Amino acid sequence: MKILLAEDDFASRKFMDKMLSHYGECDVMVDGEEAVDAFMMALEDDEPYDLACLDVMMPVMDGYQVLKAIRNIEAQKGISEDKRVKVIMTTALNDERNVKMAFELGCEAYAGKPIDVEKFEKVLKKLELI
Amino acid sequence: MAEEFNTDSMLSVYLYENGQLLEKLEGIILEKQDESFDDSDINEIFRIMHTIKGSSGMMMYENIAKVSHKLEDVFYYLRESHPDDVPHEELVEKVLAVSDFITEEIDKIKDGEDPDGDESELLDDLDEFLGRLKGEIKTQGIRLPKPNKSEEPTQFYITPVAEDDSHFYRIVIHYRNDTQMSNIRAYSATYALKEIAEDLLFTPDDILSNEASADVILNEGFHMLLQTKTCKDDVYDLIDSSEAEQITLDEITAEDYGRELMEFGREDGDVPPGAPPIVINLDDDPQAAKDDKKETPSPGDYVVKKKAAGKGKTLAKNQTKQQTIISVNVEKMDALMDLIGELVIAEAVVLQNPDLKVPGLELSNFQKASTQLSKITTELQEVIMSMRMMPLTATFQKMKRIVFDASRKLGKDIELEIIGENTEVDKNIIEHISDPLMHLVRNSVDHGIEENVADRIALGKSAKGKITLMAKNEGGKVFISVKDDGKGLSKEKLYKKALQNGLIDNKPISDFQEKEIFQFITLPGFSTKEQVTELSGRGVGMDVVVKNIQDIGGRLDIESVEGSGSEMTLMIPLTLAIINGIVVQVGNSFFVIETASIKEFVRLTEESMIQEPSGEEYIVIRGECYSFIRLNERYNLSESSTKVDDGIVVVLDHEGRQVCILIDKLLQEQEIVVKPIPSYIKKVKGLSGCTQLGDGSIALILDIGGLIQNEERR
Repeated sequence: MKILLAEDDFASRKFMDKMLSHYGECDVMVDGEEAVDAFMMALEDDEPYDLACLDVMMPVMDGYQVLKAIRNIEAQKGISEDKRVKVIMTTALNDERNVKMAFELGCEAYAGKPIDVEKFEKVLKKLELI
Repeated sequence: MAEEFNTDSMLSVYLYENGQLLEKLEGIILEKQDESFDDSDINEIFRIMHTIKGSSGMMMYENIAKVSHKLEDVFYYLRESHPDDVPHEELVEKVLAVSDFITEEIDKIKDGEDPDGDESELLDDLDEFLGRLKGEIKTQGIRLPKPNKSEEPTQFYITPVAEDDSHFYRIVIHYRNDTQMSNIRAYSATYALKEIAEDLLFTPDDILSNEASADVILNEGFHMLLQTKTCKDDVYDLIDSSEAEQITLDEITAEDYGRELMEFGREDGDVPPGAPPIVINLDDDPQAAKDDKKETPSPGDYVVKKKAAGKGKTLAKNQTKQQTIISVNVEKMDALMDLIGELVIAEAVVLQNPDLKVPGLELSNFQKASTQLSKITTELQEVIMSMRMMPLTATFQKMKRIVFDASRKLGKDIELEIIGENTEVDKNIIEHISDPLMHLVRNSVDHGIEENVADRIALGKSAKGKITLMAKNEGGKVFISVKDDGKGLSKEKLYKKALQNGLIDNKPISDFQEKEIFQFITLPGFSTKEQVTELSGRGVGMDVVVKNIQDIGGRLDIESVEGSGSEMTLMIPLTLAIINGIVVQVGNSFFVIETASIKEFVRLTEESMIQEPSGEEYIVIRGECYSFIRLNERYNLSESSTKVDDGIVVVLDHEGRQVCILIDKLLQEQEIVVKPIPSYIKKVKGLSGCTQLGDGSIALILDIGGLIQNEERR
């Protein structure tokens, strides 16, 4: 499985990288723009990501913008719903309105920080990633 | 951990919404317990289950999702096929079982536990029911609809791990004057703290890039503001104390932290999440809560601007969290209430100060100012009252379930009618009446309604028993009554029983009034039911009910006609603390009469008096005869006028019964803060409380109902 991780905070990045590396190859980005670039690049190389974990508070572009951009790119490229990348937002901003917005933007899961690893794995199973 | 767990807003929204849905569900079921569901009910239940299934799936509470899914299936078939002969009673039971299961699991979540209830038994049960239902549908020749296609949830919310609340610290480090490179030492301190910091701010902020900052640190000390979950001692240990002359570490509140952030010159000045600005919504308008839609976040609000050295993350849009509703600890509300009570007393002390009674004193400005003050204190009272008012809806809703359960258990067919459930009363009162009311309702189901339907029909009543629960506000009081159309109370039985249990003296039954006999059931150790049932009838009940009601200044009134039913009415003051009263003087004592119960003041002459040989006195006003009480005789007050001509007669009204009392002087009308009577004079009849007057003297508050009762008993 190919994973895109966007996270600007060093400690979180390290934690997420370690956790996600169990499941597959993990590319680590430090801001939103880089994440979109990486996503684009992977699509062009025809090796798209299976999972994207996006932090919300990041420099240049925030997680919601990244999510929106990714979904727009996919729509533009005509990628069908079942083939698109699964997105999990990872953030401490778990205000109801934020979560709702993220779901409306089309993320698959929303993980409040600190992340509950057990539940996170359950979700991966439900999303049929592992 | 429960509280911290609930700080997750997704979770609290989930809990709130599902709570509402379950309440709605129970409402439908109880309303339609005896007739079959119509299409709109089936649709509604289907929708409720669908919503619960969806949100539980998203929150990953699988057992709840499974159970609600199964019930949704059942209702799906009902909706699509409209089968006849649905075993309605069984269906109701199933729905209630599911609702109980979900409620239990949700309670667990509220307590911060995992919802780990075993759903398999319930699922099997529902499966079996569904199987039978399908068979039924087939035999009726209706085509089975396509199986309910269920979509697995595609979006999930992972609740964060519960954690402690943040602490906020102000840290100041002073280094010794000869310390070399104090800026580097300061940096190592910040570095150590970054590990645990949720937010860290320090000044001077250019410690690494500007060597001159070393001098500033030496002169003014190195200041830090820290937001962390770590406790104070651990923070202290993290700071390298070598070369440091003095380290001050103060824990501060979130509010102070926010303020200091501003002083630190942080341009955004964003308030830490621990301290959202609080706005209490005093409007009753529920719409107001929804008005905050404007602030819906949008992508791009959370871009982190480039990080400046030593500064936390700065967001593109500063979050202005506006809460329109807050929950407040009841204790704080009570404290506020007490304070306002004291304020009202203090106001009276100022406005009626004896110093002002100097003749010829020019007081017009003072009067103006005092009017203004009185207006504000009155409004203040009204506001706090309205904050504490809650509708009885939830309490009454509970009674529905109790009637339902109890009537099922006893095999009685009973309908519950509810009137005036929107009546609002003080929160304190709601807490106090919930149990007594439950007891009364149970009593009505158990003892009131006849066991044999034949008995009812013989008396010309409908086969179905009826209990009416009614609430209303009247004259500063709440009336809550539980009425049944059952057996009614038998005076002879009550009398015999009371005699048997030695609760009354050996007097013939004719010595007692009807109401007094009914009051026997409120005596401790009284139970007329021969057999103790599962529900009630252990003889500890009515006396506890009465005690609870009396504790909040209320009374229980019992009316009954044998053969056609009884009515128990709770009369409770609307608010506990402040009443509007008129202060009167009898002899040297002051009394307060609640303004609402005064009908009129009249001056009469001796001619209107009628004296019975037994000593009882009556007074005739405009051709009507009223019983007459002399307060001075009743309370043995000397130095008061004994002649009707000298005093003023007050006509009092209490629930339709009138009584006249004689007083010497009217003093003033004012807001009265009711204080309980000290226990050593509690036995004095006809008094409900006392208060402090403006000049510091004590006035006793007359309890008109008690006065009348007392008079009648004599």
